[in-house]
Amino acid sequence: MKIDKDLCIDCGNCLIYCPVDAILEEAGVIDIDFNECVECGNCLRMSNCPTDAIYSQEMEYPRIIRAVMSDPYVVAPNTGIPGRGTAEIKTNDVTGRFKRGWIGMAVELGRPITGVWLSDVEKVAMAISKHGMDFETINPVTAMMQDAKVGKFKDELLKEKVLSAILEFAVEPEKIPALLKTLEEVQKEVNCVFCVDIASRCNPDLSVPHEEIVAKTGHWISLNAKTNLGLGKPLVKED
Amino acid sequence: MTHTLHRVGTLEELKKDYIIFIMAERGYNLEGSKEKYQEFVRKAQELGAIKIGDALHGNILSQKGLDNLLENITDQAAPLHAIFNDEEKLKEMLKWLKEIDLGISAVISGLADHVHKCCQEVGISRHTVEHSLGRWGRIEKLPTEEVLKVNTMCGHQMVTVGMIKKAVEDIKAGRISPEKAADELYVSCACGVFNTERAAKLLKSMAE
Repeated sequence: MKIDKDLCIDCGNCLIYCPVDAILEEAGVIDIDFNECVECGNCLRMSNCPTDAIYSQEMEYPRIIRAVMSDPYVVAPNTGIPGRGTAEIKTNDVTGRFKRGWIGMAVELGRPITGVWLSDVEKVAMAISKHGMDFETINPVTAMMQDAKVGKFKDELLKEKVLSAILEFAVEPEKIPALLKTLEEVQKEVNCVFCVDIASRCNPDLSVPHEEIVAKTGHWISLNAKTNLGLGKPLVKED
Repeated sequence: MTHTLHRVGTLEELKKDYIIFIMAERGYNLEGSKEKYQEFVRKAQELGAIKIGDALHGNILSQKGLDNLLENITDQAAPLHAIFNDEEKLKEMLKWLKEIDLGISAVISGLADHVHKCCQEVGISRHTVEHSLGRWGRIEKLPTEEVLKVNTMCGHQMVTVGMIKKAVEDIKAGRISPEKAADELYVSCACGVFNTERAAKLLKSMAE
């Protein structure tokens, strides 16, 4: 996003709409810190600029990645899904993405509040990849990797900042404690907040496999959850 | 991964904060999903959903009303959401979903045990469950818990800290009611999952 300084009257109406505080006021002059802007478009849509001074400049690769990962209205090209481009458990009843005997996990970097540089996303991806899992292929963040086996990103993307980037993968249950330990370590090396998700296909008795695993590791787990109701068709065939 | 999973709140607050949504999947059941989404929206409205939103085209306020929201729906791999503040209404919605058999995936985001109980009461067996393991990393950068409760109701972070603080200031000064302020914040929540009833209570309490 940019501000047309010929039009801007420095009213400051737009300041509150930036989720990463990239719109700044200095000595009464309003401008966007282009390096910090994540291209979410919230200021353009919401600030009702009295002179229409805010505009979306043309974006080419790699900057366009910012909009794909930050603007909820932009559809990720490799998944066809808006809002960061992942389907995860939402359709697990038809895709079978997370099968019985596996645990689905996601690390949502940059949220809430801070946003994230892709160099930090790479740091976490490389740390957890040592546990030998495959990152979800139908995910825009995996598509940014040069070598998904080791979590290495394409060099030209490392200086891009996004509102959030979601590393998504399935692992064997026995790997969860060590993986969480790795996240505990790598969290000290990043300059952002991140959220961690854990998911699993319910057992035939409708219990949730990952609840027992997390209880053993002693980590906090939320009271609220996302529950896929199994009403999609065709229902995935399971062994 | 999850636009509704990381909502912050107490047990009592979350008892009035359920999001139910349906989503078609490319290569499985996308074709003909438009009409199914529309049926879902009409039923949610009939049952008194607090708000309704379309992850692809915007929410009921940003699209300026239900008619526009319904008209803009397409065959899409992007969810339609409805927010409920009441487990009985949620159960009615579940009963309807089971009977009508739309054939596209349905998900509820809310208190796990309560959702499971509601499902069992209407004869639905939960398929997959996903929990949050909380916030990690530089958590010292986060705002107060009260601000976070409001902010995390829009998983895409379009309801910013600055907007929330301004809303509280405006309520304090008597320039706007908590309900109207919550509706104004809701407009920016693209998916429409921001619970305006809950937000109004939180904003009012912050302004007192």
